[in-house]
Amino acid sequence: MTMRPLPTPSALTQPFWDAARDGHLVRQVCRACGKSFFSPQVACPGCLSEAWDWVRSSGRGEVYSRTVVHRAPSAGFEVPYVYAVIDLEEGWSMMANVIGCDPADVEIGMPVTVTFVDLGAFMLPAFVPAR
Amino acid sequence: MALRDVAIVGVHATRQALQLDMTTTAACLEAMRGAIEDAGIDKSEIDGVSARWAGPGGTVLDPGSADWVHLLGVRAGWVDDTYPAGVPGALLAAAAIASGLCTTAVVAGGVAGTMSSQAGAVAPWTRPANEFVEPFGGFTLAHFALVAARYLHKFDVPREQLAAIAATIRNAGSRNPEAIMHGRGPFTVDDILAAPVVAGPFTRLECCLASEGAAAMVLTTVERARDLRHPPIAILGGGLEWARQQYVEPPRYDEIGRIGEAAVRRAFGMAGMTPADVSLASFYDVNTFEVARQLEVCGFCDEGEGAAFAADVGIGLDGGLPINPDGGGFSYSHPAWCAVTLRVIEAVRQLRGEAGDRQVPDAEVALVTGAGAGPQYWNLMLLGRA
Repeated sequence: MTMRPLPTPSALTQPFWDAARDGHLVRQVCRACGKSFFSPQVACPGCLSEAWDWVRSSGRGEVYSRTVVHRAPSAGFEVPYVYAVIDLEEGWSMMANVIGCDPADVEIGMPVTVTFVDLGAFMLPAFVPAR
Repeated sequence: MALRDVAIVGVHATRQALQLDMTTTAACLEAMRGAIEDAGIDKSEIDGVSARWAGPGGTVLDPGSADWVHLLGVRAGWVDDTYPAGVPGALLAAAAIASGLCTTAVVAGGVAGTMSSQAGAVAPWTRPANEFVEPFGGFTLAHFALVAARYLHKFDVPREQLAAIAATIRNAGSRNPEAIMHGRGPFTVDDILAAPVVAGPFTRLECCLASEGAAAMVLTTVERARDLRHPPIAILGGGLEWARQQYVEPPRYDEIGRIGEAAVRRAFGMAGMTPADVSLASFYDVNTFEVARQLEVCGFCDEGEGAAFAADVGIGLDGGLPINPDGGGFSYSHPAWCAVTLRVIEAVRQLRGEAGDRQVPDAEVALVTGAGAGPQYWNLMLLGRA
């Protein structure tokens, strides 16, 4: 079976994947202004401070938008799958798959919580419907 | 000088196809040659180049356009690897000309010879290589779909109205002998909606092609253009708007659904015009939603009413606002980052009055757009006879 494309971490992003391996979803939080930001940046896009920390997220959020993909971009993906924008409750967003339910049942506004998919070398964050 | 003192004087597109058996460099060279010939100038007049170098040869050093300067055998006062070639390429070349950095620039781009090993997968240039996108199955169309899905959640838009946009433009392309989809169709609204879903809400026929080909344009001063063979097509106004790196950050409609509003104000302000002055639109028709969104952002109608506007006014050749009479990206061709150069070329042909049986009557002002809410940058320019 062909594997899906794997992350290619940099020094900046490695902590995100390390945390995922430990079962935690993290994002950067600015020490100066408190802003959460993602995707990873060298400085806070709000105030340009380079003083920030990786902070654990509750992993709880809701589906801001979603698409059910029926034609995968490359080998290694089983269709159909849900590709979504998730708004996390700490006020930041990321794109991820919603799994653990019928793709057709994933609605905008649906509460979700983080889980992790084992890709071997990486644990990939994904979301499941919140119970 | 201002942008309006610069004109597009030569254009050329190579043959477009789903796969071209040639290199990107060869395709771009053919497009450049054609545009220079169309302008009726000697290549020695070129002193500005915006292209990108795809090899072979050259170096890893930027700008790649310097390699084109070498190949063309000229000395340039301005080079830039403008991305993408279409509207930004034309506007930045025009700015370089207007400011006196150069006098006559060629802008070219294309993609060829990349699809043959890609059977079963989407085109390589639609798959952003980013660790927070690619492992999750993200790709360009999926990002547009995320914006469109939220838009459709917010506004009550009949899917048939969106599908009708694709049907109209595809049916125009069906009649264009240069179009990749020439002879395919006609398509009804039902045909569009019945096609397989690629990434919801979009069916395959609601999306543009991913094809190969190259295109180029030559720009010079309106003053110089007066002596050339074609009526000069001046850049009446333009605007660029960049929010984020494309296809990396979550495309949230509430943040980027209206991208382009500032650019629209700038472009129409520069031209001293309103949407009512536009004779035809050469829109970046990457999917049905994006055409509706651009109608809204350009000020033809209110937010959420783009598809209804298209239905009411008509976007076919006999409509109130013809959009992409050549078939656009849906049907003619969408060769990656020079797709919008094809939009420019159609606008130029229409304004010259050389569009043949798809000529828009009394075409005086054309609106050309590029990119959209998926990539989170967008641009436009207004063209008209000088």
